[in-house]
Amino acid sequence: MSHHVTFNDLPQGGEKFEPAKGGKIIGALGLVGVLGLIASAFFFFTKTDTFAYSWLFAVFFTFTFVVGGCFWILLHSASNSSWGVAVRRIWENLANMILALGIFAAPLLLPQVQKPLYEWMNHHREAAVHAHHDHTTVKEALHHMSVENPHLHALVSKYGYMNLNTWFSWYTRFFLYFLILWHIARTLRNKSLKQEQDGDIKHTIAARQFSCRWLLFYALTVTFAAYDWLVGLDYLWFSTMWGVYIFAGCAWASMGLTILVITWLRGLGYMKKVVTDEHYHLMGKLLFAFTVFWAYIAFSQYFLIWYANITEETRFYLIRNTDGWRWVSIFIVIGHFVGPFLLLLSQPRKKNPVVVSLVCLWILFMHLVDIYWNVIPERGPSLGIGVWVPGAWVQDLAALCAVFGSMGFLYLRGLAKYSLYPWRDPRLIESVNVIN
Amino acid sequence: MSTTLKRVHGYLAEFDSVKDLYHAAEQVRDAGYQRWDVHSPFPIHGMDTAMGNPRSKLPIFVFCGGITGTAIAFILQTITQTNFWSHIGLGFLQKIVEAYPTVVQGKPTDIWTLPAFFPVMFELTILFSAFTTLFGLLALIGLPRWNHPLFASKNFPKFSDDGFFVCIEARDPKFSQEGTKSLLEKAGGKNIELVEDEL
Repeated sequence: MSHHVTFNDLPQGGEKFEPAKGGKIIGALGLVGVLGLIASAFFFFTKTDTFAYSWLFAVFFTFTFVVGGCFWILLHSASNSSWGVAVRRIWENLANMILALGIFAAPLLLPQVQKPLYEWMNHHREAAVHAHHDHTTVKEALHHMSVENPHLHALVSKYGYMNLNTWFSWYTRFFLYFLILWHIARTLRNKSLKQEQDGDIKHTIAARQFSCRWLLFYALTVTFAAYDWLVGLDYLWFSTMWGVYIFAGCAWASMGLTILVITWLRGLGYMKKVVTDEHYHLMGKLLFAFTVFWAYIAFSQYFLIWYANITEETRFYLIRNTDGWRWVSIFIVIGHFVGPFLLLLSQPRKKNPVVVSLVCLWILFMHLVDIYWNVIPERGPSLGIGVWVPGAWVQDLAALCAVFGSMGFLYLRGLAKYSLYPWRDPRLIESVNVIN
Repeated sequence: MSTTLKRVHGYLAEFDSVKDLYHAAEQVRDAGYQRWDVHSPFPIHGMDTAMGNPRSKLPIFVFCGGITGTAIAFILQTITQTNFWSHIGLGFLQKIVEAYPTVVQGKPTDIWTLPAFFPVMFELTILFSAFTTLFGLLALIGLPRWNHPLFASKNFPKFSDDGFFVCIEARDPKFSQEGTKSLLEKAGGKNIELVEDEL
């Protein structure tokens, strides 16, 4: 209250980011992206089978941030909150990266990439050939095949969801996910940009109504995308916690990224007046909440599977709790939960931009480990190579550099397109002076 | 007739609005008073800063309470259901409970059966934290008590409806009959009264 900021204290037209100012990081990301893309192209043609896993890991890792950004604008609008107006544009831009990500995700549509990743598709394709030959349906052909291979009974039972040839096939859903996320991201940013023309509160209200309706579709999108792309790696496995687990990681990591981007922008001299340590505190609290939420969900999933001890379910944790992966699992428990939990517990640390940003760097790293641990352990056993694939980490790194580097480059450059905060939002002043 | 002993509790001043109360609080804080408080019908954002209150000690108590809960749950469960304590050379602890061993659920007996104990560790952490929060808070604010000297003021009941008050207590080392009163007047206080506590 001592430094009450009014509308006149803020620059007319908001603050525009000049990419030249942040050239070092943007340039580095671009370079990493280009080098990664070249390496990826090489691995794609020479080591397609193992590299498919690397690419899936990199695309999904990047996808979680975009999805998380989408969640935060939806939640912000739906809950009618005012504190986040100052940082909302960062989320809007993050969510709008979905189209660019679609290009990076497109290789997953290629049968050559799907072959090593999704065993169930191979069975379905074989069944389709039989079905064509015997003039029956794919489902019946699968049923016949299960005489030889009893595991395929599961595929017959799951046919309604896991299939390649109905109106609700894997392909249809793939396009739907991007369409829905793009629609949400674009609509909310458009409303926000229109408000910059007239400063009318009606756009805020419209965004609220829109968000309340689309939160449901958003939740379904994240859940189903997580199932289709990751659970599908092992068609016998299932977990009802999976969608929530992935979602918790998305919200957590994207909040971490938001804090880092804001700290970076403030270091370059932007948003100095609109973002205060109160915002850091608020975002830190949400980060803390999702640290606990993630742990709660991750443990629930592990605990139920561990205790129930059903063969199809335990396979997921068996391959991750044996050999070297066991230490990664234990590392995740400590690094993903215990560390951030203790670090984010106290208020002064959350309010300190430097400290909380360092924690956020750690959080991004742990989220990377988490997604890696979810995707990669499946590679060796599925391809019949063993637990570890020697030297494959180079391919993982190449894919990560290609996708995350390029997307990071596009994202940070894209910040320059609009004002860094919605400068004519009627509740901006309320947000700038927030005290909690 | 009335020869009741009375003790001066302090000066009570009323303010018209949240804004006045806030600025008054800043002035009292800057004058260096320690034993004083504001009373309002609802919480006011930023009042802690305006009053210059230090951070509450409660979180430290709650943290210790929570850790105690986790530790108790861990110790009780591992003593009765695993061989962990024998392995680290404290087998006598397990001897104590061997009269009533709980060998149930077909779990492994080493420390890696730990996930089975998490729910109880979690619950006891919450329970102990909640208890320390509640009882720690009551201890720190001095509740429950039978009465409060400020209830002697006829004006004061408005604090739960539409009144905003500052009360500077007489036990404050800076308190003086003239100086304190003029400070409150200067800050815009109205209906300033000397509240007396019946002994």
